[in-house]
Amino acid sequence: MLANPVNAPKRGWLWRVNPLLKIVLSMVAVSTAFALQDLAATGLLVAGLLVLLLTAGMSWRVWLGGAIALFLFTALTWLLRDWPAASLNSLRLLAILLPGPIFSLTTSPADLTRALQAVKLPSFLVLSLMLVWRFLPVVQREAQRIIEANQLRGVDLSRRPGQWFPGLFVPLIFRIVSYADEVTVGLETRSYDPSARRSLGQPLRWRRLDTAVAIAAVAIFGAVGYLQWSQ
Amino acid sequence: MAQSSKSWQLRDYVFAAFMTIGIAVTSVITVPLTLSIPLPGIRTVVWAPFAGIFLTLGMARLQRSGSVALMIGVLALVLSRISWIITAFLVSALVVTEGVMLLRGGFYGKTNRLLANVVFFSSATVAGALIGAYAAGDIFAAWVGQVWVLILMTIVSGFAGAVGWWLGERVVKQLQRAGKLNVS
Repeated sequence: MLANPVNAPKRGWLWRVNPLLKIVLSMVAVSTAFALQDLAATGLLVAGLLVLLLTAGMSWRVWLGGAIALFLFTALTWLLRDWPAASLNSLRLLAILLPGPIFSLTTSPADLTRALQAVKLPSFLVLSLMLVWRFLPVVQREAQRIIEANQLRGVDLSRRPGQWFPGLFVPLIFRIVSYADEVTVGLETRSYDPSARRSLGQPLRWRRLDTAVAIAAVAIFGAVGYLQWSQ
Repeated sequence: MAQSSKSWQLRDYVFAAFMTIGIAVTSVITVPLTLSIPLPGIRTVVWAPFAGIFLTLGMARLQRSGSVALMIGVLALVLSRISWIITAFLVSALVVTEGVMLLRGGFYGKTNRLLANVVFFSSATVAGALIGAYAAGDIFAAWVGQVWVLILMTIVSGFAGAVGWWLGERVVKQLQRAGKLNVS
């Protein structure tokens, strides 16, 4: 999930929703889920999140893995307590966990960076985030190369955790430090200043779709709140 | 001149970002190994010896207060794409660590770095267990809330963090010998 492809084609209406709105709604959903104790209210919130997840286009393997994990969790809770408690706990856990993948699957790192720039997040944090997203796949490839080089020498790292430090991490750290030096030199020679004011090629805009999503979200959260706290 | 009195430079931000990448890669490698073990803090215990290497390296290079916040704060933001729970417990742990290390005047010297590692991974276990248990429901909260489980896993996490510090200091020495790291 970390390696969400940067250049993946945008699909579905959720991709076009303002990323800041998605962040706020995710946080509200998680906070609400923590407070829920009513089965109907939790079920309504989970139903809404599952509909969104269906439109996000998650792979069937992740669906299957999630379903198995949820089944085991529910079975364990049922054994420890009873069916109502098991169903409530499972739904509540789903409501807490689902906003993350929905946000992740429908927001590219570039959109998230723009959103963070728009809320005036300190520029050094935005720089750090951009570097992490740009170089995380590069460093992962380096790690893979080092693992393959070890295999060529007859060292199977998956069977020898004792070799992880000298065989994988030490060479990887030397590569990472070299990358850090090279990137620093590259940025300095281009007179990059993290605190300098910069423009946005595609500034964030509030669209009608965002208004519609915000109204729908308020309606759903209102209904969830009514079910939870009206009795 | 004490490094804490210097302002942050571009090279510091870049170095911290690359240490964050290292910590993220260690989580990608180690966390899947423990997914099926229902023990609070077990992921931190397995993650700490390797993540601690990068954390120690970052602290040795940056030294001033805010170093852990810069590395772990960005990691928390990146991992928010997987779950907000991870973000919550990482932020809790970094606040505790920075608070404790502020009293010690930053991350100078091996002892301070050892303490920072132990505090960070121990508090990550406590915060992760409490937030995770609350998310999973009262039955699991009761299991995790058993004081002996939490104390045991916190101690083991702190020890795993200390192992990470020890390995990290070895790498610091190797990098210094190779002329790749300037640590006073």
